[in-house]
Amino acid sequence: MTTPLVEDSTGGLKTGDTLLEVDNLIMRYKTKQGYVSAVEDVSFVLHKGEALGLVGESGCGKTSVALSLLRLQADNGEILGGEIRLGGKDLVPISEDEMRRHRWNDVSMVFQGAMNSWNPVYRVGDQIKEALDLHWPERLNRAETRQRIGDLFALVGLDSDAQDRYPHEFSGGMRQRAVIAMALSCNPQVIIADEPTTALDVIVQDQILKELKKIQADLNMSIIYISHDIAVIAEVTDRTGVMYAGKMVEFGDTGDIFSAPRHPYAWLLLSSTPSIVGPRRKLAPLEGEPPNLLDPPSGCRFNPRCPFATDQCRVEEPPLRDIGDDHQVACWNYEQVPVGITSGSVV
Amino acid sequence: MLKFIGVRLIQMSLLFLVFLSLLFFLLQAQPGDFSTQFLDPRIPPENRDLIAARFGLDAPLWKQYLTYMGNVLQGDFGVSFQRYPRTVVSVITERLPRTFFLFTFATLLSYYLGFVLGKVLAWRRGGSQEMSITLGGVLLYTVFYPWFALVMIWFFAAYLDLVPVNQFLTPLRWRDAPFSANSVFTSIIWSTLLLSIGLGLALWASRKPDNETQRRLVKWGGVGLTVAVFLAFWMPHEQRTYATDIAHHALLPIFTLALVAFAGVMLITRGSMLETLKEDYILTARAKGLAPKTIRDRHAARNALLPVTTSFVLGLAFIIGGGLITETVFSWPGMGELLLASVLTQDIPVAIGALAMVGALALIAHIIVDVMYVFLDPRIRYQ
Repeated sequence: MTTPLVEDSTGGLKTGDTLLEVDNLIMRYKTKQGYVSAVEDVSFVLHKGEALGLVGESGCGKTSVALSLLRLQADNGEILGGEIRLGGKDLVPISEDEMRRHRWNDVSMVFQGAMNSWNPVYRVGDQIKEALDLHWPERLNRAETRQRIGDLFALVGLDSDAQDRYPHEFSGGMRQRAVIAMALSCNPQVIIADEPTTALDVIVQDQILKELKKIQADLNMSIIYISHDIAVIAEVTDRTGVMYAGKMVEFGDTGDIFSAPRHPYAWLLLSSTPSIVGPRRKLAPLEGEPPNLLDPPSGCRFNPRCPFATDQCRVEEPPLRDIGDDHQVACWNYEQVPVGITSGSVV
Repeated sequence: MLKFIGVRLIQMSLLFLVFLSLLFFLLQAQPGDFSTQFLDPRIPPENRDLIAARFGLDAPLWKQYLTYMGNVLQGDFGVSFQRYPRTVVSVITERLPRTFFLFTFATLLSYYLGFVLGKVLAWRRGGSQEMSITLGGVLLYTVFYPWFALVMIWFFAAYLDLVPVNQFLTPLRWRDAPFSANSVFTSIIWSTLLLSIGLGLALWASRKPDNETQRRLVKWGGVGLTVAVFLAFWMPHEQRTYATDIAHHALLPIFTLALVAFAGVMLITRGSMLETLKEDYILTARAKGLAPKTIRDRHAARNALLPVTTSFVLGLAFIIGGGLITETVFSWPGMGELLLASVLTQDIPVAIGALAMVGALALIAHIIVDVMYVFLDPRIRYQ
């Protein structure tokens, strides 16, 4: 039996076992005006073999969550609380040197805008080699390295010879494929795909997503997808978290969330998104703007834009509560949200 | 690539001829002429005309120009009026190594130190240390250079008495010297050039091995070996005491010129590095778990090098100008001092020759940088 190209490095976890747990994560950026609360009390669990989505508008803290998982937030960003347990081990308190050993080896990333995630002056293969040299358990010689990169390229639909080319010689789609190959190179337990297809045209977007989905299924990978694009999240994920202003407002099975969102924000977000399947309907605009995270509104952060807001919402912050079927919502009045996506003006 | 270099060489030669023609007419357009500057006013006019005719100065300007260009193509830049009957070529070949020496070492030193310090500054952005060094860099960069050079002379030569005050050698010591100063200069230039190439090779080779101990071994072994060879060459050398005399004199001018040029390089590197650090591929490098030093040197500084290289070409004129001031202030008898003296005394053939040489060096530097770009940036390919 030959060893598979991308090995399971999770130490024999079975599909559905808990792999990554994020507990009450708080990450804030320190600025001259005060703390910007980018990630506030976010919790979720990623299971082995699962595709998890984080969705929300720009600036809602999705990418901050992703970067915090690798402790790669900008210099002024500080993890002020919570735990990030990977295979039971908390990554928050460990030293930077120890953290570096986990990066890419255990959690790798496919970045937003893969166009610029390659260093223009080095060959693509050499940039992947850099990760292999650092993390691969035994030293690979030149031929073995080439072989491995070639195999990874074949997996994502690139020629093995492409590893000798420079990033600028690749098209956008090829660069993104190569980024995926690089993310897989060290057998990570988790891949974080941050807007993996945003910079690509729709045709290539679709190809890349299918490719990712296939790889995820074949290798039983655990992937966290982060996107503002609802269609992408709906297509590739098993479970979805909806984020608003640094908070997780709804979490549950992707199918449930997209067919019957319970949080007013999720409901409005989906109602404002056109769909080419199903009956024609009028789009409901989502009024207002996301709050200033330097000074978020008291109570529920969505209350100034929420059609269901009550006095309680303006004072008391709703916790993320279980409402059955592994579905959680942070809303006092979720029962009032109509079931299903409706059309036209709201309430 | 070879074709590109060939085409560039032809272009540069044409450009050089245009430059030379401009120089010829511009310098001829100065008020006054050869006869008022170099001839005794009491000699009779017919003798004066005879002398002018002997140098071909009675011919109309266009004819003088054609003769001059014809001679230049045969490698003859005429004779010096001031140092008659020495030829311009012999004057320049005497002066050029001295300037080349000063200029090359100041440039190498300033670019190396400026780049290294600039990248560290950008990396440690925000501290009070970084602030004060940057401020010092801005001060050096904007200082009035002739004044600064005088202060340096006062402090290091007059006050601390560490180095000689002026000239490039101690005349007394050289009175019975068995060789010319220039042959010593040539030895110094070649040996130090080989030394820097050796050091560069050692630093380059030290990036190849995979673990830190081997890298250190290659680095310090290579550096040690090169320095040992250098010393082994000079210690028994018959010109050694003369060479150290020249080196002693060269210390302060090189240091002063390098210090001012260094500040500019440091500031440009810092700025360029700060831009590079914002790039997405730096985040990728961090996500890969690379060590901070690797990210700084292999990813950020490598890309920050490109604008710094461009600034070298653009800053060439500045360094040449700085060289002229340095030579004048430090009484360093090189090209800059020659140029200034020849322009002041209307020694037009020497002035044209010196300026032509500066122009030729600038053109050659451009070609070298064009070629270097191909190795620095894979996105650049010449058709």
